Amino acid sequence: MSAITSSRADTIPSAPAAPPLVRGITRFARREFRDALASKWFLLYTLAFTVLAVGVSVLSLSGVGSHGFAGFGRTAAGLLNLIMLVVPLMALTAGAGSIAGERERGTLLYLLAQPVSRTQVLLGKYLGLAAALVCSLCVGFGVSAGVLAWRTGGVGIGAYAMLVGFTAMLALAMLSLGMLISVISRRTTVATGLALFAWLALVFVSDLGLMASSVLLKLRVQEIFGLAAANPLQSFKMAVIVNMNASLDVLGPVGAYASNTLGAGLPWVLASSLVAWTLVPLALAVVLFARRGSV
Amino acid sequence: MRLAGFGILVSLVATAVVRADDRTGVAPRPVSVVTEMIEHAETGDEIHVPAGVYEGNLVIRKSVVLDGSEGAVFDGLGKGTVIEVLAEGVTIRACAIRASGDDVTGEPAGIRVVAADATIESNTIEDTLFGIDLKQAPDAVIRGNTIAGKDLDPGRRGDGIRLWWSHGSTVECNTVRASRDMVFWYSENLRIVRNTVSDSRYGLHFMYSHDTVLEENDLRANSVGIYLMYSNRITLKGNRLTNNRGASGYGIGLKDCDDIAITGNALLANRVGVYIDNSPSSVDSTGLFESNMIAFNEIGLLATPNTHDNVFTRNAFVENEDPAATHGRGRLVSNTFAREGVGNYWSDYAGFDLDGDGVGDVVYEPKSLFGAMLANEPNLRLFVHSPAQQAIEFTARALPELRPESTLIDPSPLAEPPTIELTLAHGSGSGGWRMALLATGLLSTAIGCVVVVGVERGLPEPKTGERA
Amino acid sequence: MIHAAGVTKRFGRVSAVSDVSFGLDPGASMALWGSNGAGKTTLIRCLLGVMRCKGRASIGGVDVRRRGRHARALVGYVPQELAFHDDARLGSAMTFFAKLRGISRDRAAESLGLVGLSGHERKRVRDLSGGMKQRLALAVALLSDPPLIILDEPTSNLDAAGRGEVVETLRRLREGGKTLLFASHRPDEVISLAGRVLVMERGRIVRNTTPAELWPTEKPVQVVRLYLEMASEADAADALRDAGHAVHLNGHGLCVAVPRDRKAEPIGVLARQNIEVRDIEVLEDVQIPGGDR
Repeated sequence: MSAITSSRADTIPSAPAAPPLVRGITRFARREFRDALASKWFLLYTLAFTVLAVGVSVLSLSGVGSHGFAGFGRTAAGLLNLIMLVVPLMALTAGAGSIAGERERGTLLYLLAQPVSRTQVLLGKYLGLAAALVCSLCVGFGVSAGVLAWRTGGVGIGAYAMLVGFTAMLALAMLSLGMLISVISRRTTVATGLALFAWLALVFVSDLGLMASSVLLKLRVQEIFGLAAANPLQSFKMAVIVNMNASLDVLGPVGAYASNTLGAGLPWVLASSLVAWTLVPLALAVVLFARRGSV
Repeated sequence: MRLAGFGILVSLVATAVVRADDRTGVAPRPVSVVTEMIEHAETGDEIHVPAGVYEGNLVIRKSVVLDGSEGAVFDGLGKGTVIEVLAEGVTIRACAIRASGDDVTGEPAGIRVVAADATIESNTIEDTLFGIDLKQAPDAVIRGNTIAGKDLDPGRRGDGIRLWWSHGSTVECNTVRASRDMVFWYSENLRIVRNTVSDSRYGLHFMYSHDTVLEENDLRANSVGIYLMYSNRITLKGNRLTNNRGASGYGIGLKDCDDIAITGNALLANRVGVYIDNSPSSVDSTGLFESNMIAFNEIGLLATPNTHDNVFTRNAFVENEDPAATHGRGRLVSNTFAREGVGNYWSDYAGFDLDGDGVGDVVYEPKSLFGAMLANEPNLRLFVHSPAQQAIEFTARALPELRPESTLIDPSPLAEPPTIELTLAHGSGSGGWRMALLATGLLSTAIGCVVVVGVERGLPEPKTGERA
Repeated sequence: MIHAAGVTKRFGRVSAVSDVSFGLDPGASMALWGSNGAGKTTLIRCLLGVMRCKGRASIGGVDVRRRGRHARALVGYVPQELAFHDDARLGSAMTFFAKLRGISRDRAAESLGLVGLSGHERKRVRDLSGGMKQRLALAVALLSDPPLIILDEPTSNLDAAGRGEVVETLRRLREGGKTLLFASHRPDEVISLAGRVLVMERGRIVRNTTPAELWPTEKPVQVVRLYLEMASEADAADALRDAGHAVHLNGHGLCVAVPRDRKAEPIGVLARQNIEVRDIEVLEDVQIPGGDR
């Protein structure tokens, strides 16, 4: 113990500098990623998603396998439903637990007392969790693709790859929302509760509400489309279907309207809805977290 | 031996030169050259048209065989019909035909036949408004032609193959792409076999054409696969209808047709598998649907409420979003979904077969609340494939008073899908390795992520001196 | 090293810290003295820039609000109890903080060795004893050799042996030229480590003084802890202050610094006021370094 001060004073006389912005972010990202990999929720989600994805693939293909028809469209439809239920739940709860969890355990204070900014901590955590989620999705989709390759021909590989891409975008958007919830919640339980509420709202309530209002208020197709596209889950769904069918005719008059008016721009409109759902909540989370008076 | 080799070499060079001629457009000749050849030929002669491009519109008034297999190209220069056949018993074989006019009023075609007993085979027809047009040309054979329409929007295209009052003709092994329809008007006793039509409006379209057999045709990515209108006694067997999902989007559509037999067809991934509008329409006639594979369609069977007297047996309705629906209000109960105690296989059948006789012990009655909602509010289709739709169906299952009346009743649903022998060869799924590649790629991305981001070297072992 | 001007922090209507101004020169050592809830911890968080507050605070001339990241680079912070992911292993936690500050792994291992934690790298943070956790926190704080160490009651969760170890380490750091700012409610620590004492009550600085002035005696001082009924603690403190004693209310009874030969005097003072003393505890001897006063 006696050597501490003398050796220290001799070797580094100058004052230490704060780490650069990017290194701070990557450090937090890597730590978050590792923590996620080691955590139970991540393993559970990965396992559940993989099992469900493979299950859907196998079930979708059973019954017609002997006719050689690669039922990708059907598999994708089944996967779509699964993704729209599970992925937002994964991402929202993961995001909701992040900051609120650290705050509740008291670890956030210690991290913030290090030479890092709140923005670094938040973005680092976001990137780390995003990497973990994408990793988890890659496992699920990868195994499922393996099953498809084994059971059928690989028809629709491009569409499948795009499905993976859009799912990752959906996960990132939901993670942003989860982090925003985490920043504004004082406790983990509140954050988780809000995340579940957001999940219910996005997955069920908004769709059912839009269905009801389109019938009761006799909304016009462009209004229905606009409102639906504002929901990241519907945007995701429409983007995947456009990508598979080159048109939204499958979705009835509203889809046909969207295809006809927006044409080739439709996938971009839908993708930008997802990007907006990623950037806006994340930016809000950064601002609110930085403006927060206390820890 | 050497001499023979030399001969082959010369002919190869000559062919190459001729091809180059064709490609570069050097020295095209007027089609009157061919007209003169025909004038000098005897009836029944076989004319081997030398390689080269022949420009203009050719009219054949003598019964000859026109063989273009040496490399003859007939170019209409974007005006009128390229080859018109006025004489009976003409054969046009292995010609390349291109660039008809595109003014729809004159209905310009690649080949127009207005006489009996024509044989049109192995020609390649492209960039023509109509492909092969038979008018009052009975007993024709149209075989092995490849036809691609003009690059116009579908409404302005002509028909790939059209028969008008041409009884007893055979249309087989043709490939038609990007045309309007392959259409048959007022023509009876036809054989339509092994044709492929894709990216067109109606793959095979029948108007007032009776007593015909359609076998093993492949119709994909058209607005409608096969549309029969006002045509009776037609047999559809072993046809394959996939991805027909245009505005109407039927695999097979029937309008006012009597005594249709549809057996052993595959209807996959269409918007609607089978659409029935008032067929059969006459008293004492029926429609038979037997051993068809109806899978992955948005709606397996869609029928107008007045539809009656169709018999469905041994069909497999697999994973259609909605197995059966009524076009408008009403039910399909005037049709029979079982024959002699044998019904159909429905993949959403939730019943059981305790006695193991292969027939479910409870009747099949599909009741989809969301499906019923769609019938009234088509805009809601936007919400298919979403958890909200599942929620609605779940609610309907939990609260029976919300359940709509079932669209149909199959008293003897099959417990297992029937074996359906499809005669057509299907895609072998050769892309499997690419999917495997994708799987490998995704998994290695995940592993790579873990390795690159997740692995960190820990602290080095401390030196013993520092431990104290 | 530290400059604070009008630092104020409110939680709703309650002022946790109000209008605190002080300065701390490089190489100096200062204690924050006050009862629980006096605002010591909040003040430290404001100074670290972890909490937003009104007023101005700078560390080494760097504004903590505008350039908090750079200000904190000059600080090693030791919390009351190290809060880090319980599942993390000691080695990986150390590696994380080292890499965050851009310090080599060798240096991190060295730092760990210096606080006597070598060989414990595989242990999980959850399994560490209180003393080991504080040593780990100290190792992290010293990683980048910062000129200023800020400690928030670093010994409050430790036993006597652990306390002695930490105090000894801090004393050596101070000798090595580090600037120290620490919160404490143990007079012995304050007397042995601090050059100056900021006495805080209800968020305000009531005195900026030296330990010698706070506990004025030529003779060795002992601290007596008196256990009273909660309701009478405030009255008792006032009575003792009136009688000229240095009093400290810390929520664990009432601490009074007295010359070692007059330990019973505070009890007499209280007896005259009819305040009942339930129990007393005499804390160990305090060595007062001569040069500091």
